[in-house]
Amino acid sequence: MKRDTFFAFASPSVAIMLLLMVVPLAIAIWLGFHYMTFRNIAAPEFVGLRNYSDVLSDPRFWRSFNFTALYTAIVVPSWVVIGFIIALFLDQVSGFVRGVYMSIFLLPFITVPIIATIMFKQLWEPSGLLTWLYQQFTSTRFRMNETSVKTLIVFFGIWYVTPFTIVVYFAGLQTLPQEMIEAASIDGAGRLQKIRHIVIPYVSSLTVFILLFSIMDSYRVFDSVYVLSGLNPQFKADTVMTYTFATAVQVQRLGKANAMAILTVIGIMVVLVPFLRLMYKEQIAER
Amino acid sequence: MDRITSRAGRRFVHFVLLSFTVYSLVPFIWTGMQSFKTVKDAFSRTPLLLFEPTLQNYQDVWIRRVPENAEAIGLGILLAAVVLVGLLLTARSLPINDRLVYGFCLAGFGLLLWAIPQLIYMQKFYDYFINTLIVTAFTITISISIGCLAGYSLARYAGLAAVVILIAALAFRALPRLAFVLPYYWIGSLLNLLDTGLLVVVSLVAVNQPFTIWMLRSFFMEVPKDLEESAMVDGANRLQSFLRVIVPVAWPGIISTALFTLLLAYNEFLLVRVLTQSNWTLPVAISRYTGNESADEITLAAAASVSATLPIIVVILYFQKHLVKGLSAGAVKG
Repeated sequence: MKRDTFFAFASPSVAIMLLLMVVPLAIAIWLGFHYMTFRNIAAPEFVGLRNYSDVLSDPRFWRSFNFTALYTAIVVPSWVVIGFIIALFLDQVSGFVRGVYMSIFLLPFITVPIIATIMFKQLWEPSGLLTWLYQQFTSTRFRMNETSVKTLIVFFGIWYVTPFTIVVYFAGLQTLPQEMIEAASIDGAGRLQKIRHIVIPYVSSLTVFILLFSIMDSYRVFDSVYVLSGLNPQFKADTVMTYTFATAVQVQRLGKANAMAILTVIGIMVVLVPFLRLMYKEQIAER
Repeated sequence: MDRITSRAGRRFVHFVLLSFTVYSLVPFIWTGMQSFKTVKDAFSRTPLLLFEPTLQNYQDVWIRRVPENAEAIGLGILLAAVVLVGLLLTARSLPINDRLVYGFCLAGFGLLLWAIPQLIYMQKFYDYFINTLIVTAFTITISISIGCLAGYSLARYAGLAAVVILIAALAFRALPRLAFVLPYYWIGSLLNLLDTGLLVVVSLVAVNQPFTIWMLRSFFMEVPKDLEESAMVDGANRLQSFLRVIVPVAWPGIISTALFTLLLAYNEFLLVRVLTQSNWTLPVAISRYTGNESADEITLAAAASVSATLPIIVVILYFQKHLVKGLSAGAVKG
């Protein structure tokens, strides 16, 4: 394809990304240096780095950062482990049965996140099914407090995204060369040994892919926290995203919220740049 | 992997899969049950698994005042819907050109959705539903059209510019929504575009574009180059050969991508929440039901959740193969 044709074809998409991603990002950086509320939205006041120092000395920001990190640390390994195990089991059945299981397992993932969280929360309302079960087993009352809200956020995160890893690992297992397994069987390897020495190394590139996207996505978690904590500061269950949102919408410090968003961008970039370099080299080599 | 063959082993496999099925379904089943309960039943101290179902919650969510000839109107709407769905499903085997049938059905559904509030006094929820349909339809159309052009050119052009665009898109896909949404809010309020569908659609197209072009590119790369080359030898130009030869071949991949765009647009909460004040889509509208703990809101939230989830589940299950294909394509190709 010629250069001119390429630019002609790609230009609508590139234009919209320049106009609505690159420019807004530049605006966000600019707004981060300004004091702005909903009142002086047309004329933000320049305050230099004050928003950034505000953010970095804000204990609630660090608390939300810590909870986000904790969430990521629990949820991401769970996705990988549970997804891989269920994919192995799903690989054991075939045909119609497999299709039915697959459809059911996918359900959480295709439900609107906000609605899935509301459904999940219904189980834990004072009259909910799991509230009742919990009280039967522990004979203590279940109530929404810091620990329970945080636990529910983590559980929901696991429940909601595991289908994605199941499908990815399952697709990977379908391409596993049969000869490798047969050779191992002839050598007398047991099932667990085969999984450990053949399957896990075989899907390792998928694992890297899942880890990368999972970490980025769990870092951005918003919808479920919004519903489960109701942004109530009493639960101390803010994530970086919900705190940024609360700063913008509830406290109306738009400049500070922009500074927070930019800090998040920088944080993600630090993690992402090595990967981007790798991808860049790969793409250059491929063409 | 090789199959487990022992009887106990097979039982164990099914036991695990059935347990996971229950685990996946419990919130759906419970919410479904709550949505058919009276407020009194829904608040029972011990959860009621057997109860007398009522449609009151659904009625309260959708309909403001029931008209006198409700049964006749309801039957008419149901009949029209059944005929249209029947036409859609049998379009392939009808002796008429199926595009004509699809077009007719689309127009029919549009007319039906427009007619319902003329006949029955509907709740605001219906407006949010229509809003969601419009936003989603426009987002998919625009996003896939420009995404196809870009994805195709990125699959075929070997220059450095293509690599730079792809890597930049990947970086932007990883950034948090809020980094874009707050500036959109600022721009929107300066241009007086807040609370308009236009701003929501354009923003949704933009934030999903990186994902869209990556996915479409991976599907276009599977299409052999000889195809368009032979078309071009026959005298078609690049655009003609793309539209007439490449797009039909890559169509399943385009459907997969459209399905993901559908999910992304239908699901979006944060962006719509910040950029609109009353012109909501369903996720934002439904989140309003859970704000406070007043009595009847649990059953209403349940009925609203089920109402908003059913259409999407029907669509997705119908296209499930494409969804799974898309998920694994994205995975295998990074």
